[in-house]
Amino acid sequence: MLSLPGVHLPLLAQVLGTFLAEELRASGLARYVLGLSGGLDSAVAAALASRALGPERVTCLALPGPSSSPESLAHAQLVAETFGLALRVVELGQAAEVLAASLGCREHRLRFGNLMARLRMIALFDEARANGALVLGTSNKSEILLGYSTLFGDHAASVQPLGDVWKTHVFALGEYLGVPEAVLRKPPTADLWPGQTDAGELGFDYLEADPILYYHHDQGYGEEELLAAGFSPPLVAKVLATYRANRFKWRPTIIARVSASCINVDRILPRNPRP
Amino acid sequence: MTAGKKPTPSRIQVALAQIATCPGQLTRNLETHLAMIAQAREAGADLVVFPELSLSGYLLGHGVLELAMDPQDPRLAPLKEASRTLSILLGLPLREPHGGIANAAVLLEGGEVVGVHRKLYLPTYGMFDEGRYFVPGRELAPIPSRLGKLGVLICEDAWHPACATILARGGAELLLVVAGGPSEVGGEDIPSGMRRWHWIVGATAITTVTPTFFANRCGWEEGILFSGGSLGLDGRGRTLAGPAPATEPALVLGTVDRVAARRHRTLSPIPGAERLELWRQEVERSHA
Repeated sequence: MLSLPGVHLPLLAQVLGTFLAEELRASGLARYVLGLSGGLDSAVAAALASRALGPERVTCLALPGPSSSPESLAHAQLVAETFGLALRVVELGQAAEVLAASLGCREHRLRFGNLMARLRMIALFDEARANGALVLGTSNKSEILLGYSTLFGDHAASVQPLGDVWKTHVFALGEYLGVPEAVLRKPPTADLWPGQTDAGELGFDYLEADPILYYHHDQGYGEEELLAAGFSPPLVAKVLATYRANRFKWRPTIIARVSASCINVDRILPRNPRP
Repeated sequence: MTAGKKPTPSRIQVALAQIATCPGQLTRNLETHLAMIAQAREAGADLVVFPELSLSGYLLGHGVLELAMDPQDPRLAPLKEASRTLSILLGLPLREPHGGIANAAVLLEGGEVVGVHRKLYLPTYGMFDEGRYFVPGRELAPIPSRLGKLGVLICEDAWHPACATILARGGAELLLVVAGGPSEVGGEDIPSGMRRWHWIVGATAITTVTPTFFANRCGWEEGILFSGGSLGLDGRGRTLAGPAPATEPALVLGTVDRVAARRHRTLSPIPGAERLELWRQEVERSHA
């Protein structure tokens, strides 16, 4: 059976650290802010930023809501302690209830979950504005390819160090960087409602999906070639269907071009120009 | 020897300035150049070589429109001034007199631009989009310099081995490969791009039997990783300079012994033995 090729973890950690340092320098801002969910991805992003810039230049927020598991906050605290990071807890419950009541979405778990993800985005960008920070994203490549995120919610960030790193490699990177066992070993979850897991919603887990995604997206294998290589037909069908269905999230907005100077079409320009 | 000209030195100290350029931050990039030049001068270098598009940055997109320069551009003045005491090869988007912008490497000596190589092969596939912003060069010949004839190749040019062969047959005594080589991270302890480049630079030096120096970018631009590893080899593939690390800026130095280089070419006359009639046959066969 084909498997996902390995990655050199010390080199990966080193270059992602230099990426974070350079993006911060180029932006002219002083620090990063990120949400610590208690999960693996945000733990790895926090560890990378802390290693690259020092813990004093990384602000962590824990952003619990009414349906968050108490374990998530405990794990966020454990991650912050492990990497010497200060953690501020901002309760979003009250705001979420008020907004959900106005919108009438409190009883709809997906809508309420998305509302929570977007409130977290609001808190992070507010902190970024208040303290001259860049919002550090925590999405990984598998999740982005499958569109397993809330558009303009957890998906919204200024930089994404893990956005081209397979979830399988994020597990390995977490282990390499010393992410606590309790965080490494728990099933990935967006924690939008009690008992939610990524695998439960997607119908497969990332370790199963990553080789299929790699050979399709990176190596150009078609569906028939994947089946010929021995991947399970129902799994291939499910993974590829999700990969196609959520592609709009790769480019979250699209501008109607009506001139010859359309932004990011006719004029692609560096993000941080200076004289 | 022409009256009034200094004799060409028998040993040339080459400095490779591996830098992390920031696209669109010209003042910062200029300061980085001047700092590296000062360091190279201090170390006694005769020539300092910067990577591809070193002054402007590589992933400029349409930013080339703002940053393109002609050889008289006043922004080049401090660099020209610095070239009074050592030769400088640097990269910039060059505004062409009749329109279009070339991805160019310019040689500065004695306070002026004395030579230009315009990139011949503009990669426009995968992550590359150079054909969209640049016009390709049309000529390939060594640049005469106070240090002898210098053969310059810009990044993708070196992936077409005929280029180095043509320069070597044209009398290049030194090949300078300047690159902004993007890279990935795979299973090895060096970025994949660095490994690929070391094979290419090695093959270039050995098959042309010519000392070859490779100056590459390091660091990140717009989320793209560059993999450093700048190095110099003699015409038998022995290391003269570096390799510089993959991820950090560095100045690495190496000395070319022109007498030894000439001896290598005499003992292994490979470029001179090139069977050009095979090239002609291929040209005719493909109706090029």
